[in-house]
Amino acid sequence: MIFDKEALHIDPEGETQRICEFITQQVLSEYKRKGVVIGLSGGVDSALLACLCVRALGPERVQGLLLPEKESSPESAVFATEQAAALGIRTETVDITPLLEAFGVYEERNAIVRGLCESYDPTTDEMKITLPADLLNRDSLNVFSLIVKKPSGREFSYRLRPDQLNAIASAQNVKQRTRMIQLYFLAEKLHCVVGGTTNGTEMDQGFFVKYGDGGADIEPLAHLYKTQVFQLAEHVGVIEEIRTRTPTPDTWPGGVTDEEFYFRMPFKTLDLLLFAWNEGFSADDVCRALDLTAEQVNRAFRDFQSKQRTTWHMRALPPSLLKETSHRSAATSSVDLV
Amino acid sequence: MSSTRDIITSFVLDTFQTGAPGHRIEEDTSFLESGLIDSMGVLELVDFLEGQFGIAVEDSELVPENLDSIRNICNYLESKGISSTGP
Repeated sequence: MIFDKEALHIDPEGETQRICEFITQQVLSEYKRKGVVIGLSGGVDSALLACLCVRALGPERVQGLLLPEKESSPESAVFATEQAAALGIRTETVDITPLLEAFGVYEERNAIVRGLCESYDPTTDEMKITLPADLLNRDSLNVFSLIVKKPSGREFSYRLRPDQLNAIASAQNVKQRTRMIQLYFLAEKLHCVVGGTTNGTEMDQGFFVKYGDGGADIEPLAHLYKTQVFQLAEHVGVIEEIRTRTPTPDTWPGGVTDEEFYFRMPFKTLDLLLFAWNEGFSADDVCRALDLTAEQVNRAFRDFQSKQRTTWHMRALPPSLLKETSHRSAATSSVDLV
Repeated sequence: MSSTRDIITSFVLDTFQTGAPGHRIEEDTSFLESGLIDSMGVLELVDFLEGQFGIAVEDSELVPENLDSIRNICNYLESKGISSTGP
């Protein structure tokens, strides 16, 4: 097999049919549920999943749930609502801000930020965490920095101590975990499954929150690289506003992109390099196809390996001493009403 | 009296291998390639170096060449005026 720039091109209709068959099989035959509940974020992954589920099950079996909070981009709910209307699915909206306030998420996080930037004002300033940019062109370590942006546009950058990073990340992750609880709250009430929206790039590199957006019953997009998500999104009719939006976690009050926050390069390059690494292509094969140097490719490969290694537990069941028996498998060991 | 090299080795083993018996680390073992240290580990390492040796690690110095192995750290500390053979 030869590696080339077109390696991630898919047959959109064939792939759509394959995923729809998977959804139908899982929801109706395996889980024996009435439909799917999807958290609609206004991003391309959840919009694509909604389109695929409607095609597989019909709009009456798909329920959208919008879960904004005070730091969500306002356009997220607008786009999510537009997408749901275009598909003819029902939606509910739950503002999770009071729940996050009750957990002390904003208060705890802002206290850490203020410890670094005394003048930080959450009512006017933007704030985000980023990794060093430009992974391909310089050797650097994955050290997170806090960026505070003042209304004047002036930015201040602070390197985080381990305890500060842990405190901020644990507070932020409550956002995705609260959304997961809301999704299951509704899904169980409706006797539906929760549809996961983690794509293959995110799954592979651990870019999701364990028991947060990673908490779901089915993951129909987990085999698709992000650039393939965009290919399918166009094919199945995801609205243009969502397809042309820059991917973002939309959980920081500073509009951080997925690239700034975690991946350190554009998805187009990232996905091809990640595919090459996963499929065992050599740096030489990749250099020839992508017009990169061996040094650049190897920097990317090292980063992929590091992220995959450190996030292994997010893709696994919790390690235990439980033995598999003929009567008990992973598929039947959960506690559920029968 | 422990050498700088011993202090760093002890820190790395104690912190990132949680003192599991039988674990050891070669001077040139890449922390990143061996999976020993992740992004949180880098922050812990920098925090330790700054506290233990009273240095300031600049953002521009957060590169594998300075921090990715025991030898690299010793060389980096030497460039900051700290001998690897003595504290």
